[in-house]
Amino acid sequence: MALCGVLWALTPHFLTVPNLLNVAQQTSINAIVAVGMTFVIVSGGIDLSVGSIVALSGVALGAALQDGQALPVALAIALGIGVACGLVNGAIISWGGLPPFIVTLGMMSIARGAALLFTEGRPVSGFDPLFRSLATGHVGGVPSPVVATMAVYLIAHVVLTRTTFGRYVYAIGGNEEATRLSGVSVRFHKTMVYAVSGLVSAIAAVILTARLNSAQPIAGMMYELDAIAATVIGGTSLMGGEGSLAGTLVGALIMGVLRNGLNLLGVSSFLQQIVIGAVIIGAVLVDTVLKRHRN
Amino acid sequence: MRKLTVLFVAALAASSLSCNRAAPESTDKPKIALVLKTLNHPFFVDMRRGAQEAADRLGVQLEVQAAERESDVEKQMQIVENMIQTGIKALVITPSGSREIVSALVKARDAKIPIIIVDTRVDEKAAADAGVHTETFVGSDNYEGGKLAGGYVVKATDGKARVAILEGIPGHETGDSRLRGFRDAVKDAPGITIVASQPANWERDQGFNVFQNMLQAHPDIDTVFAASDLMALGAVEAIAAAGKTGKIRVVGFDALDDAKKAIAAGTMDASVAQFPSEMGKIAVESAVKAMRGEKLPANIVVKLEMVTKDTVK
Repeated sequence: MALCGVLWALTPHFLTVPNLLNVAQQTSINAIVAVGMTFVIVSGGIDLSVGSIVALSGVALGAALQDGQALPVALAIALGIGVACGLVNGAIISWGGLPPFIVTLGMMSIARGAALLFTEGRPVSGFDPLFRSLATGHVGGVPSPVVATMAVYLIAHVVLTRTTFGRYVYAIGGNEEATRLSGVSVRFHKTMVYAVSGLVSAIAAVILTARLNSAQPIAGMMYELDAIAATVIGGTSLMGGEGSLAGTLVGALIMGVLRNGLNLLGVSSFLQQIVIGAVIIGAVLVDTVLKRHRN
Repeated sequence: MRKLTVLFVAALAASSLSCNRAAPESTDKPKIALVLKTLNHPFFVDMRRGAQEAADRLGVQLEVQAAERESDVEKQMQIVENMIQTGIKALVITPSGSREIVSALVKARDAKIPIIIVDTRVDEKAAADAGVHTETFVGSDNYEGGKLAGGYVVKATDGKARVAILEGIPGHETGDSRLRGFRDAVKDAPGITIVASQPANWERDQGFNVFQNMLQAHPDIDTVFAASDLMALGAVEAIAAAGKTGKIRVVGFDALDDAKKAIAAGTMDASVAQFPSEMGKIAVESAVKAMRGEKLPANIVVKLEMVTKDTVK
């Protein structure tokens, strides 16, 4: 809120309805990817492969649509690929006993390579208006990517706070050994956590592809870092066991508002990177200091 | 709450940094946006310089923005959306993707902002399908540039060469045209064989690695054509690492300062010179004309030149 106040004071263009809808749309992709990242980080893991999964699901979706498949079939293929990548990540982490950092780093390269191989490096572009309306349409005056983001957050929030699966995610992140000893199938639930991350990455891919009217095999680079930033700015601990999706949404919005505001102010693109980096460190620093204070 | 307070301070610090940059906003000069692919490439830095000089001379305010990475179309689209909000009177853009950028241009059209395309063309069919009209295209003919390079290779090697090609990012109009031009120029010389052609994504380090690998697979390569100088300079280093400096002819594109130095030093043979600062200048002049409602030609061609050891300055 304060950030919005500052930007409003500095530039008259910030606090206009078209611009705020702009920010909400621009934030939606990062916000959705960050949902999965929050699940993963709360469970004590990390997922570096999200950006590559966005690219792979995107090109699969694009190819299916150009092949003349019906929209629901194409969407199912895209989401299926996202989930499959997540399941592979989760299964190797759980049953192979490897660190999530290594496994998802590998998947980052594999999914990117698969996307490039599949498309021979070329973007797949040009889709019909029905599909494009997933990004360009409106529901009751609200742009559809924003509606999709709200829906994803609502469902994910319920899953994380109101279901046994959600409670196990926190428990695994808090103390994996204790959770296992109390009879919970840690392996199964951890695998599911990465599947969730793959699924939401694929949802983000659908919106990105519709927005650009093109599926690029080089799309989504560095998305993992943006998603991690949104999650930790939102107060989720990298140690696992604590965090909330409301916080992550705020984190994603802070990053979106900052980028938009710095553009409106005409700040050089080099300085923008410095400011965003400083805000990430600053926000987490404050969070840490406050927590120490409370204890 | 305290978290918000500190964020406030952080934002304040950020904004105070930018205050002197935001200051010209108070003037009544009409504002033109120059959206580049990136600013970490000398080509675009030169283009900005030319554009800025023209803007100062013509009394318009120039807002320059670029994505962090050259291929980040989504980011470039966000920048265009944000710039439209600031009430720009014209949009000058070097598209990161020939087709993808059309979605962003649709938004400029809806805001009735004239569009000037520089350096990389917009896919004509995609633009026509979306009903986007661009005022003009300012740039060099990359196909002709590729032909110029190909013609040089045919002449310099007496029509006998084993050629390796370093391509740009696949699917980019700029790189594809250069390659087409090059291939067309050498195809009539029966002694010239293209033994390898691989993308090095416009980057110097990838140019090094890819060419090193090519040399492993084809030790008999005697000529390399790179679709950009950064990749050519990477190849120059790979040649030096293999101890073959002077034995392999390197032809690049862009005539960057580093490439001119390499040509003068004899580690590189030639490069096709574009004039990015000229492009920037003409683009801003065209934008001002478009703002006044003047009609512009569909294409404004900026000259090309072959830089060799004899002509390098």
